[in-house]
Amino acid sequence: MKSSCGAVWVIAEQIGGRILMESLQLIGHARKLADEIKTSVEVVLLGDKLNGQSRQLFAAGANKVYLGNNPELTCYQQEIYTEIIVRLAKEHKPEIVLIGSTSTGRELAPLVAARLETGLTAHCIDLVLNEDKLLEAMVPAYGGLLTITCPEKRPQMATVAKGVFPTPEPDENRTGEVVPLDAPGEVPHRIETLEVIYEEPEGIPLESAPIVVAGGAGAGDHEGWQVIADLAEVLNAALGSTRPAVDEGWTELETMIGQSGKIVNPELYIGVGLSGELQHMVGIVGAQVMVAINNDAKSPVFEQVDYGVVDDCRGFIPVFIEKIKEYWSRNT
Amino acid sequence: MLKIVVCVKAVPDPKQERKIRINPVTKTLIRGDIPLVLNPLDKNAMEAALQLKEQLDAQIVVLSMGPPSAGNIVKECLALGADQGFLLSDLAFSGADAYATAYTLAKGIEKIGSYHVIFCGMASSDSSTEWVGPEIGAFLKIPIVTRVKEIIETEGEWWKVKASLDNGFRVVQVKIPAVLTVTRELNNPRTLSFSGIIEARKREITHWGINELCVSDDSVGLKGSPTIVSNMASIELKREVEIITGTREEKAEQLIQKLVEAGVI
Amino acid sequence: MIDFTFTEEQELFRKAAREFAESKIAPKVSEMEETAKVVDEVVKALGEAEMMALTIPEEYGGLGLGYVARLIALEEISRVSVATAMMLQIFALGTEPIIRFGNQEQKQKYLPGLAKGERLATIAVTEPTGGSDPKGCRTSYKKDDDSYILNGRKCFITNSHIADTITVFAVDEENPEAFSTFVVEKGTDGFKPTHEEHKVGMRGCNTGELVFKKCRIPAENLLGEEGKGLRIAMSAIGDVGRGGMVGCALGLHTACLEASVKFANERILYGKPISKLQTIQNKLADMKIDLEAGRLLGFRAASMQDKGERASNEFAVAKYFTTEAAQRAAKTAVDIHGGYGCMEEYPVTRYLRDSAVLGPSAGTSDIMKVIIARWVLS
Repeated sequence: MKSSCGAVWVIAEQIGGRILMESLQLIGHARKLADEIKTSVEVVLLGDKLNGQSRQLFAAGANKVYLGNNPELTCYQQEIYTEIIVRLAKEHKPEIVLIGSTSTGRELAPLVAARLETGLTAHCIDLVLNEDKLLEAMVPAYGGLLTITCPEKRPQMATVAKGVFPTPEPDENRTGEVVPLDAPGEVPHRIETLEVIYEEPEGIPLESAPIVVAGGAGAGDHEGWQVIADLAEVLNAALGSTRPAVDEGWTELETMIGQSGKIVNPELYIGVGLSGELQHMVGIVGAQVMVAINNDAKSPVFEQVDYGVVDDCRGFIPVFIEKIKEYWSRNT
Repeated sequence: MLKIVVCVKAVPDPKQERKIRINPVTKTLIRGDIPLVLNPLDKNAMEAALQLKEQLDAQIVVLSMGPPSAGNIVKECLALGADQGFLLSDLAFSGADAYATAYTLAKGIEKIGSYHVIFCGMASSDSSTEWVGPEIGAFLKIPIVTRVKEIIETEGEWWKVKASLDNGFRVVQVKIPAVLTVTRELNNPRTLSFSGIIEARKREITHWGINELCVSDDSVGLKGSPTIVSNMASIELKREVEIITGTREEKAEQLIQKLVEAGVI
Repeated sequence: MIDFTFTEEQELFRKAAREFAESKIAPKVSEMEETAKVVDEVVKALGEAEMMALTIPEEYGGLGLGYVARLIALEEISRVSVATAMMLQIFALGTEPIIRFGNQEQKQKYLPGLAKGERLATIAVTEPTGGSDPKGCRTSYKKDDDSYILNGRKCFITNSHIADTITVFAVDEENPEAFSTFVVEKGTDGFKPTHEEHKVGMRGCNTGELVFKKCRIPAENLLGEEGKGLRIAMSAIGDVGRGGMVGCALGLHTACLEASVKFANERILYGKPISKLQTIQNKLADMKIDLEAGRLLGFRAASMQDKGERASNEFAVAKYFTTEAAQRAAKTAVDIHGGYGCMEEYPVTRYLRDSAVLGPSAGTSDIMKVIIARWVLS
């Protein structure tokens, strides 16, 4: 496909040869953007012993895959990964570069952007093209939505969290071109990943849980947080959080829901002691039924949920838990 | 002697951030009178530097870019135990995105001169991009490690650190000079002490503007920012809410009833 | 033009004190309330945070800070625990006579330990027959070779049972017009703390009785000149004592207002938070007006003192106003809480009890008016 402007790129990510869901979702959305500006979707995939992954990328919407496939690229290595992507981008001049908001993506993206001397929008919740075909990246802030653009510099770059865009239905009939990448040659060697340890996340994973209980600053302290965790356990729910709760040290960064955390789509969401900040709420817009428990009747969260309980979480939740247990014992 | 640079940011007090709102008509920010405080994760960056200083022969330089009122957070870092403070403040620096911010800070670090390690908080509480640390590294052409949660080895040129990943962690060996962005897990930041505040009287904050940094005005601030905020909208994720009332027991029972009816528990 | 702004450094002092109070004192408040005892960890934490060192000169291991800094610290600590602020304020009150009137040896001997919190101080003036009127003092001293012998009883002494260094005010056994001040150390023969009071509020600080029975103390423990002790006691109480109570009152007042605002925003009545009701707004505004006025009075007096001016009259005005206002604020806070204001899990009940102790401490409101009237008529 010959195009008038540069391509839409996705920097795909793999772990042990498995393409991450966020990469496929980005390719799916890149496809839409590319069609609008009549250009192609090109994916950069770096790894080792890769075989057949390109077909998956084509099926998701890619036209071309730049494939780096050698032992040096097994896992993310900062200097060599950055070097390959920067050189490739300088050569092919993409119009747009999208990267998943994974921990690796968040390190790689700013390095690439700074070296390409271009802008990078963080953790967008939507990406659209305006009438001038300029990429508009939507970022929640201050109870509203900022539209961020990069009018002059190219490529236009953005990172996007998992779940922001749907996973595209694979179309096995699609094919494309695989461009093998040579080793980049001399790269400085000042940093090396020695070891990567994957830890089983405790409890139920947020992304797939039918029920999510999320806690915020209103927990007050560790004890208050434990009360919220108890509710999650009783409901067999995944436990999520807001940034203030993470900042207070009650929970890990991995539990954070929202723009710079995870995007979830549960059947039931219960927000406890949180105020309904947009940065958090954009992570759960897909929930079927939403409940808020907060002692501040004026809290904006009560305008964004289906059911509200105005009460102190430490006082209410133990009663709520008892009643849930009672209900279950009556109905089983 | 080990020279440590800590980059810090003055952010609106996160506890009061809710007060900042977008005016839906004028599409400008209503800032209120929220005080500027030290970005929470930058406290962990400061603590990392202070702990190194306790173990090694080290000097800590604090660097910030911001309005003149950001001087108070630099002063706070001096009171925590930093040796020198620099504030990059100029009207020309205002409106900077992460790229222009990192560029300006990198220029500041170059002017400070020698350095061995640069600590930054992983992200700021107000913009949370996580870009500034890595981009400083890119501009200075030195390696970076993001999300550092443990510093394992600091002997010699090759340091070993543990850094968080989405579902686990990695152990990284990095040659200094390097930029390390830190997470909350790294340490427990100390609190201010009165004698520290008194000690800091002896240490002046150096103010640098665009002339001192020898940068052109189209490479900093709004002009030097590749990205712009082209629109601000107040959005509403409104749902029709039903507030459940009654005694605690009644509220709990009613809520369960509603959730059962909705088929979600 | 008068500058009413705090300096950058003073703002940092406030931040440091608040962080300290919220992280180290707040978790101990319920223990203090339940046991009605001094909690050792609180005393230790005060020492570690250099709170006993604030006004002690640097050459004796202190921080050499002034009254404004002290007022800021007390205000922040009292906002979390009035009892702790009271204990701290009396440490300073017991230390001040040594700073002002002690000789080189006395300062060397006592101040470094007091600054570190290894030694705790108090002052003993009040007696069953006279507190506000020190001339009614019955505790007597008599010179005997190179020592003095003390006899008598002191009451309502804050830190009575925990203090190691007690500044004692006494009258010459042979001359009812001559008063002297002595440093008595814990463990001295013939001296002991006896009865411990059970106060309505400020339960976490200790108040009690001291008894001196043929208590022999070495002559070098005399502070200043023999017979000139009235000035020593009065100057410490006039500035440090009253100034300290202003800090306690302002902190409590702030806590009352914060608790009231929080409750008024949370409590729903007629389908909306009670903060929407004008009657509640009126109460909140009254509390705020009093708090603002009290802070101006208190910090004005403190900054006069820091400039080396005499401020005991100004402190009397501030002490009267802020402690009265804090009592009103505590009552109003309880009123705003309605029925919840009677439940001990709400901190306003503690504020109300604590506020009751503010008035009589370091001179009742009536005594403040006597002093203020004397100032007006002089």
